Amino acid sequence: MSGEESSSQRKIKRNNNNSKSKNYSNLSWAVRMQRRAIWTINANPRKTVYGESLRRFNGKEYRRWDPRRSKLAAAMIRTRNNPDILLPAAGSQILYLGAGHGTTISHLHDHLCGADNRKGGRLVAVDLAPRCLRDLTHLAHSRKGLVPVLGDARKHTAWGALVPRRVNWLFQDVAQAGQVEIFLSACDSFLAIEGIALLSLKAASERWNSEGEAALFTEVGRKIEAHGLELLEGIKLTGFEDNHTLFVVRRGS
Amino acid sequence: MQGIWFDWRAAAVVNSDGVIIDVEEWSGPYKVNDVMQRLELLKAGAMTTEARSLLIQFPDSILLPSGSSDLPEANYPIPDDDAQTIADEAALKLAEDGVALAAGDPDRRLEHLIGAAEELRSAWVTGEGRMVEWVGLFIPQARFERDRSKLATQIISSANIAQLAETLNAELPPVGPEDSEWHSLHSWALYVSNMEKQLNQIENSIRTITRIHLPSLTALLGPLLSARLCVSAHGRMRLARLPAGTIQVLGAEKAFFHHLKTGAPPPKHGHLFMHPWISRSPRWVRGKISRMLASKAAIAARCDAFGGEAWSPAQVEKVEDKVNEIRTRHPKPKQIQR
Repeated sequence: MSGEESSSQRKIKRNNNNSKSKNYSNLSWAVRMQRRAIWTINANPRKTVYGESLRRFNGKEYRRWDPRRSKLAAAMIRTRNNPDILLPAAGSQILYLGAGHGTTISHLHDHLCGADNRKGGRLVAVDLAPRCLRDLTHLAHSRKGLVPVLGDARKHTAWGALVPRRVNWLFQDVAQAGQVEIFLSACDSFLAIEGIALLSLKAASERWNSEGEAALFTEVGRKIEAHGLELLEGIKLTGFEDNHTLFVVRRGS
Repeated sequence: MQGIWFDWRAAAVVNSDGVIIDVEEWSGPYKVNDVMQRLELLKAGAMTTEARSLLIQFPDSILLPSGSSDLPEANYPIPDDDAQTIADEAALKLAEDGVALAAGDPDRRLEHLIGAAEELRSAWVTGEGRMVEWVGLFIPQARFERDRSKLATQIISSANIAQLAETLNAELPPVGPEDSEWHSLHSWALYVSNMEKQLNQIENSIRTITRIHLPSLTALLGPLLSARLCVSAHGRMRLARLPAGTIQVLGAEKAFFHHLKTGAPPPKHGHLFMHPWISRSPRWVRGKISRMLASKAAIAARCDAFGGEAWSPAQVEKVEDKVNEIRTRHPKPKQIQR
């Protein structure tokens, strides 16, 4: 008797949730933001990439984009502006430096390419570590449009031939000293006019002995503007990823 | 001044205003393997045949491979969709080949071997300790401070506790273990002796790899210590670039950072302590010997990493003479003047 009661209560609760869940927004055809959770339509149905949860909305399977595992997702939650400028246009070509194990990459692929790459996107992912490439190449087999490259993010000519056109969206997440210089030269070589570039900066990776983190982040902002790029926002990722700031940059005409 | 832009399938002469003067395109075949070869050329910083033939026609131009930062803006020939698809397939293959090559990297292999040996050793030491205590509970007269190493095999070859007491030359107390309890003890002994065998196996493979990977360092310090240093330094190349002072305290990070933080005395040795020249020396010369040995180890590591000649036993003997010299020069600890 009591069991029945509680199950019916649960049902009511779920219904309430459903009626409340109207307050979501679609950032793109594949990306859905529901309060503080982001979901992307799974381009490789019924498979998870890093143990994230799967869920159906309106008959389509979504993967949960974990902001604790992906700095881009954290930035989309934390930004004070419209989060959709942080995403590339679906079906475009993008460049991702410091690809890691493919957490962010997989969600970007969901949005950029979709199942069987029917959006026609192309995602060039560069990383130096063979361990990371092991996961990325595995991912690339099930996700068309993902091009993994084993190479140094600083040596543009070693893999530059795989980026034939300038890209409208570039992401850099390499945790090594001189990140800012690497980022600026990558923008020079590969970012199209009006293109958006994102730099995830880890304070601990820079040699910095004076005032502290806040000063470091201001200094980086100054460097970016001195290079002729437009700094749109510096998003602090505190709470998701400590000591990290994501810089959003646009290349002016 | 003009430049020659090139990617994997085309090359173009471009002047500083971004005007393309001449273009040469690769005729193919557009097969994955051929494209892979071309991408590898670019990765190595070499020229394609198209770029070379343009360079012959325009000898005073500079080479600007695709991705160079000082390329002028121009409409460079772009691969069509089919060519791009093949290039992407080739890129994936290249990445996979690169990942496969990492399996041949002795640094990565040593990392796993050393980690496995460490975990197994600590499990073995605790397991063996329990086994000795366990047997001691049932056969209190048995004494094995000297050779605990035989105990595991002795238990394994005994059918019951009485037989074990006989082999140990001890009397059996009135209360013994239950049958099932004896079987548990018996299988525990099996587990301990298996771990010992496994550990030997792992250490032998460390020895084999290190003798080839770090011949000079092995001649100086022995294979296990050399491998440990190499792994602590995150690879042979990095070890070779470390100063001797860092090699001296590798493995003593905790004490070292405590020293930096609080000003406590710095550690005299890290992994190097494993070497008998240090651990078997009197306390007051250990720091001096370890400093000298660390600088020799740094030289040996550099010989190994940069393709030098492996150290001969004669060279190692010279170091040993130095160790003995330090020992004889300081027969007594330095008296602290009050």
